[in-house]
Amino acid sequence: MLRLIFRRVGSALFTLVFIAVVVFSCLELMPGDACTAFLGREGKGTALENCRERMRLNRPAPERFFEWAGGVLKGDLGTSMQRQKPITEIVGWRLRNTVVLAAAAAMIGIPIAIFLGFLCGLYRDRPFDLAVSATAIFAMTIPEFVSATILILVFSVTLGWTAGVVTAGYKAPILQLLASTVLPVATLSLILTAHILRMVRSSVIDVMGSDFVLMARLKGVPFRQIVLRHVLPNSLLPAISVIGLTVAWLLGGVVIVESVFNYPGLGRLAVDAVSDRDLPLVQAIALLLGAIYIITNLAADLLALFLNPRLRTHRA
Amino acid sequence: MRANDLSFGGKESIDPISPNRFYEVNDIIYSRLVRQDDDGEPAPELAVSWTPNENATEWTLKLQPGVKFHDGSDFDAADVKFTLERIKDPALESPVASVLGMIDHVEVVDPLTAKIVLSSPHAGLPVLLLDYRVRMLPEGAGPTNDKLGIGTGPFKLESYDPEGRTVLVANKDYWEGAPKLDRIEFTAIPDSEARNQAMLAGQLDMSSVTRDQQPVYESNPNFVVQSFPAGDWYGIAFRTDTAPFTDPKVRKAIRVAVNRDEMIKLMVGEGNAAVTCDVPVKSSDPYHAEISCPQDIELAKKLLTEAGFPDGIDIEVNTADLEPGMVQFAEIYQQQVAKAGIRAKVKLAPSDGYWDDVWMKEPASVTSWSERPADQILNEAYRTGSSWNESYFSNPEFDSALDKARSSLDFEEAKKAYGDAQRLLFEVGGTFIPYLQNGSRVMTNKVTGIKPLAEDYIRWHLVDKAE
Repeated sequence: MLRLIFRRVGSALFTLVFIAVVVFSCLELMPGDACTAFLGREGKGTALENCRERMRLNRPAPERFFEWAGGVLKGDLGTSMQRQKPITEIVGWRLRNTVVLAAAAAMIGIPIAIFLGFLCGLYRDRPFDLAVSATAIFAMTIPEFVSATILILVFSVTLGWTAGVVTAGYKAPILQLLASTVLPVATLSLILTAHILRMVRSSVIDVMGSDFVLMARLKGVPFRQIVLRHVLPNSLLPAISVIGLTVAWLLGGVVIVESVFNYPGLGRLAVDAVSDRDLPLVQAIALLLGAIYIITNLAADLLALFLNPRLRTHRA
Repeated sequence: MRANDLSFGGKESIDPISPNRFYEVNDIIYSRLVRQDDDGEPAPELAVSWTPNENATEWTLKLQPGVKFHDGSDFDAADVKFTLERIKDPALESPVASVLGMIDHVEVVDPLTAKIVLSSPHAGLPVLLLDYRVRMLPEGAGPTNDKLGIGTGPFKLESYDPEGRTVLVANKDYWEGAPKLDRIEFTAIPDSEARNQAMLAGQLDMSSVTRDQQPVYESNPNFVVQSFPAGDWYGIAFRTDTAPFTDPKVRKAIRVAVNRDEMIKLMVGEGNAAVTCDVPVKSSDPYHAEISCPQDIELAKKLLTEAGFPDGIDIEVNTADLEPGMVQFAEIYQQQVAKAGIRAKVKLAPSDGYWDDVWMKEPASVTSWSERPADQILNEAYRTGSSWNESYFSNPEFDSALDKARSSLDFEEAKKAYGDAQRLLFEVGGTFIPYLQNGSRVMTNKVTGIKPLAEDYIRWHLVDKAE
């Protein structure tokens, strides 16, 4: 058990280092450097030299990589060129906002998904299941910028019930932020509910058809008890990894939804940083998003390991 | 009233001469010495009059009495001295330094009289003072103290967050009368689609929208779309020091072969731009010269033959997907000039490093500029040896026309000299500029007091919003 955990954590760390190297090399391979990208057509003569001096770009790449990596280990992500502020400070607020949005969407979407998925699995192919599953497939397939635009058009432009885009600044208090996030939360919940629901449904169907459920039925265990004691816990296990992936997706900055709704989170910051050509910030965000993805997946794996004794004896 | 700012990554500065000035807000909280009237001519703002000495090396400005800064202090000649001399501070790396570099120093004659002493004669100083960035600061203001943000404008800065919400409140003591609006809020919305949604959902009263979003508003009676002459442009800079563009005949041929009206239709839509004949001076600029340049395929062919290319010519135009339409621009050019036997090859360069590796290096590349006053753009981009001379244009006649314009005290004489310079650009210049784009804005029909003119023409104290 312990060895398994160590191995998972070890491979996660390795992936993280790998990401750092890849991100750094990609930016190195691009034409120009951080200063030419930032200054654009002003990047000539003394302005360019001053910038390179300031950013210490005149040193060999490996030296700069280790300085950067060393800074990251100490929690220093560098300085944004465009915003003239430490990146940790800029990213900190956006990370909070993204967590707020993700938590709201997850708290609404996940329980609904489990509940509906469970019912669909139990009443497979009945009208209820068909209706819910069809809606879910529809919600999964339409791109989020379409559903976002439709939601804004209906609920904010036509009906005027709620704000269309978020106008609060990135440092706004959480409650103020939440008040204007009805539509982004709805958009995200729609997608994540659909994904998780489909997973829960099929695993309920699997478990319902398994030998031990058949055995329990033959033994005469009441249906309610079969469902709650045996089917529910067993069918939720496979769902955990899907939930983990979904949460990673949410925390990784839902770029399109954040941009369309002008939500001041990590996703929008990533887009802005790219369009501002703020390379140190792009680099930091790429690393951060990678780390979030890895950590969330690791957590989901460990949770599954903890909840499912069978995985522990499995030697891969 | 609620408007949006475009948000350029939160680098916007409330220092009016910073390279990243927050112009939407700076226009409102600060005032200039001279502003333009609706026709673009210099008109009094904080300066009530300006008189040059006989050779235009010294200008005496009389100031508006009784003007107060937002902190209650009086506006006087010492503030003028401070603001104008600050522009040249090398530590600020201000782009305005190249515009007003001829100001040597400012003398305080009395509290309401300032004398601007120039290092070289300049008869067009009032026009240069129209620059939307030359806004009066209280003496001592700078990035390190809280005096920055205090102006004499109709609204005061209450809170400032270029990546979130910036709030301005009415300055009841504004010298031209109290503003009609109580406050103006600016929300940063970098994504154009989000801006559009916010405007449609009624979260904004005024916004900038893209060309393809405009029709939605034009057909809706709740909104007003304004289009006004402005000076942003795309062009192709052909290096006049590189063959075959060393020959002025080739340069003219590759420019007159274009149907500019057609190009406007394809690029931005009819009525959203004004034709220009390779001159980056907008029609509302006081020094604008009228030139006509219809498509002339025969002339182009004739010029090419004379230049030794009877069978047409092969050229290569570099572009990059840096700004919307920059690639399309080169492609439309390619199609248009084909009729004259000009076989233009469009070469798509990576957008990273374009300004560094391609522009001003390759013989021909697409370029993009924002609006500038005539004297500034002509001197910065076409004078021999100037640092932004992207076509490596060097013409003694052109340079002396600019010198003459700067030293002639008579407006008509100066206008004629600037006109000569502009005509030279069309005749022998190396930069192709088919049109100047109009600016546009969308407002709800409740907003009043904003004329269809550029941002820095708006008199914010007269703007109102019906309930």
